[in-house]
Amino acid sequence: MRYLMTTKATDTAPDEALFAEMGRFIEELSAAGVLLATGGLEPGGILVTSSGEEITVTDGPFAEAKEAVAGFALIEVRSKEEAIELARRFRRIVGDGESVVQQVFGP
Amino acid sequence: MAVLDAHRTIDAVWKLESARIVAALTRMVRDVGLAEELAQDALVAALEQWPATGVPDNPGAWLTAVAKRRAVDHVRRSRRLTLQQEQLAHELEQQRDVEPEPPSGPEQDDLLRLIFISCHPVLPPEGRIALTLRLLGGLTAQEIARAFLVNEPTVARRIAAAKRTLAEERVPFTLPEGPELAGRLSSVLEVVYLIFNEGYSATSGDDLMRPGLCHEALRLGRLLAELVPDEAEVHGLLALMEIQESRSAARTGPAGEPVRLDEQNRGRWDQLRIRRGFTAMLTARRIGGTPGPYVLQAAVAVCHAQARTAEETDWEQIAALYESLARLLPTPVVQLNRAVALGRARGPQAGLVVADALAADPALRDYHLLPSVRGDLLLGLGRREEARLEFQRAAALTGNAAERAFLHRRADGIAPAAAPGPTLGGAAAEFLAREDLDAGTVRSYGQTLRRLGLALGERRPLTTVTPEEVARTFTATWGDTAAATWNRHRSAVRSFGAWAGADGLADGLARRAGPGHRTLPLGPDQLAALWSSPGPAPRELALWRLLHESAAAVRTVLALNVEDLDLEDRRARAGDGWVSWRAGTARLLPGLLAGRSRGPLFLADRRPGPARTPGPADLCPHTGRGRLSYERAEYLFKRATRELDPAGEGFTLGRLKPGS
Repeated sequence: MRYLMTTKATDTAPDEALFAEMGRFIEELSAAGVLLATGGLEPGGILVTSSGEEITVTDGPFAEAKEAVAGFALIEVRSKEEAIELARRFRRIVGDGESVVQQVFGP
Repeated sequence: MAVLDAHRTIDAVWKLESARIVAALTRMVRDVGLAEELAQDALVAALEQWPATGVPDNPGAWLTAVAKRRAVDHVRRSRRLTLQQEQLAHELEQQRDVEPEPPSGPEQDDLLRLIFISCHPVLPPEGRIALTLRLLGGLTAQEIARAFLVNEPTVARRIAAAKRTLAEERVPFTLPEGPELAGRLSSVLEVVYLIFNEGYSATSGDDLMRPGLCHEALRLGRLLAELVPDEAEVHGLLALMEIQESRSAARTGPAGEPVRLDEQNRGRWDQLRIRRGFTAMLTARRIGGTPGPYVLQAAVAVCHAQARTAEETDWEQIAALYESLARLLPTPVVQLNRAVALGRARGPQAGLVVADALAADPALRDYHLLPSVRGDLLLGLGRREEARLEFQRAAALTGNAAERAFLHRRADGIAPAAAPGPTLGGAAAEFLAREDLDAGTVRSYGQTLRRLGLALGERRPLTTVTPEEVARTFTATWGDTAAATWNRHRSAVRSFGAWAGADGLADGLARRAGPGHRTLPLGPDQLAALWSSPGPAPRELALWRLLHESAAAVRTVLALNVEDLDLEDRRARAGDGWVSWRAGTARLLPGLLAGRSRGPLFLADRRPGPARTPGPADLCPHTGRGRLSYERAEYLFKRATRELDPAGEGFTLGRLKPGS
C-alpha cells in the first residue's frame, strides 16, 4: 500500500548536517525499495479556485503559509505501522514540526 | 500503549530491519540458521519489553544491539572456541552499545551475502523462495504459506530444510566472485522473478494476483539494484517487474477476470511505475553489454508501455526481441510468445506456424496458454470451430478459477458456424420417422444411417457432409461385403439424400455388380482366430472346416448324409461329384458322427415341431432331429464371426471358401 507523507514548513532553515542526514535517509529508503517519489515544494505556489462557473487563479504566497506543505514523500509499505515507523525516523532527523501521513488509493 | 498496537509496530520494525540484523549476525556466527534464531530471540525480547516500556526511539538499533549481545553470549558459550571467534567475541564486546554502523560498505555486503546464500543453487527452488522471503522480507512462515496457498508446516519445513542444507554443505557466507558470480546472480534473479510471477499470475487459487508477493519481489529487485549496481540484468529484471506491475490495476476486470493487454484501459496503467521501469532500463542500457534475458523481456515490456493504444504497438520490434530471447533461452514458452508477436506483426498464419510447431512439445502438453494462443490465432483466421475447441481445452487445463471462467466465456462467445441447418443425426431420425416406410425398411435404413452418424458425427451439420466422406465410410465399413449388402446401404443413402435435399450424398458410391461379384475369402488371421475361438459347438466347427477345406457350396455340404462319407479317403459323394476334405475336418468328424450311421450329417439343434415335419430324407433316424437349415447355418456363422468383422456384422459362410 502507498502512503503520502507531507511535511509542513518550519521557520528554521535546514543546515548542512541535516541535508547530509536526510540524503542518507532517502538513499536508505530507496535501497529498501520503499521510497517511490519525494520532493520539496516551493513556498507559495498558485491558488486555483472554482466557484460556480468562475475559475480564479491567484499567485501566492498566502496568509496561511504556515499551513502550506513544504515537502512530500510517496512510500510503498506493507502496513500502516511501517508508514508510521518511517515517519517517526524522518521526524527524528528533521526536528520540531509536523508531518501528515495519508494512505493513497488507486491508481 | 495498547499491546496490540505495540505488536503491530514491532512487526513493522521487524520487517524493515530483520534482513540487516540477520545479515550482520550471520557474518558473526557464520551460520544463517543460528543467526536467524538469535535475531528471533531479539524479537521475542522486544515483544516482551516494548508493550511495557514503549517502543524505543531507534527500534532497529535496539533489536540489533540485543541480537548482537545474544550472538556474543552464544559465541562465548560455544565449547569449541577458536582463536578467531575469541577475538571476534572480544571485538563485539567492545562495540556492543555503540550505535549501528551507517549503511555503508560492510553492512550492504552482508545483505548481499545473505541474498546469495538464500538463493544458493544447492537449495531446491521452493526452499530458495521460502528462505529468501523469510530472511530478506522478514515474512513469517504463516505469511509465506498464505501467499503460496500451502500450509504453514510445509513452509516451516522448507525453511528448516534449507537452513540445514546450507549448514551441511558448509556454504560459505561470502560474495561469489569471477566466473561464479554470473551463475549465482542468475539464481538470485530467478528467485526474485519467481516470487514476482507467483504474485503476478497466480498459478492456482481464485484470485488472479496476489499483490503482496509482487511487492516483496519489487522490494528485493530494488534492493539488488542498489547492492549490485553494475549488473545490467539486475536493472533489466527491475524494469521488467516495474512495468509489468504498472498494469496491475488494468489487467483484471470488475469481477476479477483477466483483461488482455490489448483490451486494457491504458489510462489505468501506473505511470509512476512505468517511469521507474524506464529509468531502470536506461541504467541497464548505460551499463551495456549483450542484452541478457531480463533486459530483453524488459525491452518487450517497454514496447508495450510506450504504445499509447494497442494499435500503436510495435509488434515487429517485439517479434525481433523474442527472436533474440529465443536464441538465449530456447524454451517453448518463449517460442509461444514469439508466435503471439508474429501473429500480430505478420498475420495469424505466421503465428500459427510457430504455435503449431510447439504442439508436439511435451513440455507444453498441459500448458493452458498454448491452446489459448492457438485459439486466438485460429479465430483470427476465421477457423471458429477449431478456435472454440482450443479455448475449451485451455479452460480445462488452467488451475486458476478466474482464468478458467474467462476461457469458458471466450469459447462460448464463438457461435457455431453460421446457419448450420439440420445435423446428420437429426435429419436421419426425422427421415426414419416417416410414416410411409415399413418396419423392415426402417430397420435396414436405420442400420446404414446409424453407422454413417457414428463415423461422421451425429452432430455434423448435414450440409457439410461430403460425398467423399460418405464413400470413405462405405469403403471402411462395407468395402468387403457382398454386393447386395453394399448396394442395400448405398440405396439407403441415396434415398436419405434425396429426401433431405442432399442429392449428391451417394455420388461417390458406385453400384456393385450383383451375382458375379465374388466375395472375398477370409484371411489367414481371421481363419486362425475362428478355429481357435472357444464359443462354437463341435457341429459348427466341423461345418466351417469342411466348407473351407472342400471349397464346396454351402447347400451341397449341408445336404451330405452320414452314409455318403468315406472317412478313410476323406471324401463324400455329393450328387455326381465328390466333396473332399483334409486333416482338420477329419479330426472333427468322428465327434460329430457320435456313432450315427445314417441320416443328415449336420443336424438341427432340436427335434422339429409337429407342424413342420421334414421329409424322411432330412430326418435323423437316431435322434429324430431334422437337417440343419441353410438360414440357421448362416445365422450362426454370422453371429459367431461378429467380433472378427471390422464392421461388426459378422461374415457369410461363402467367405470360408478359400481364394483361388
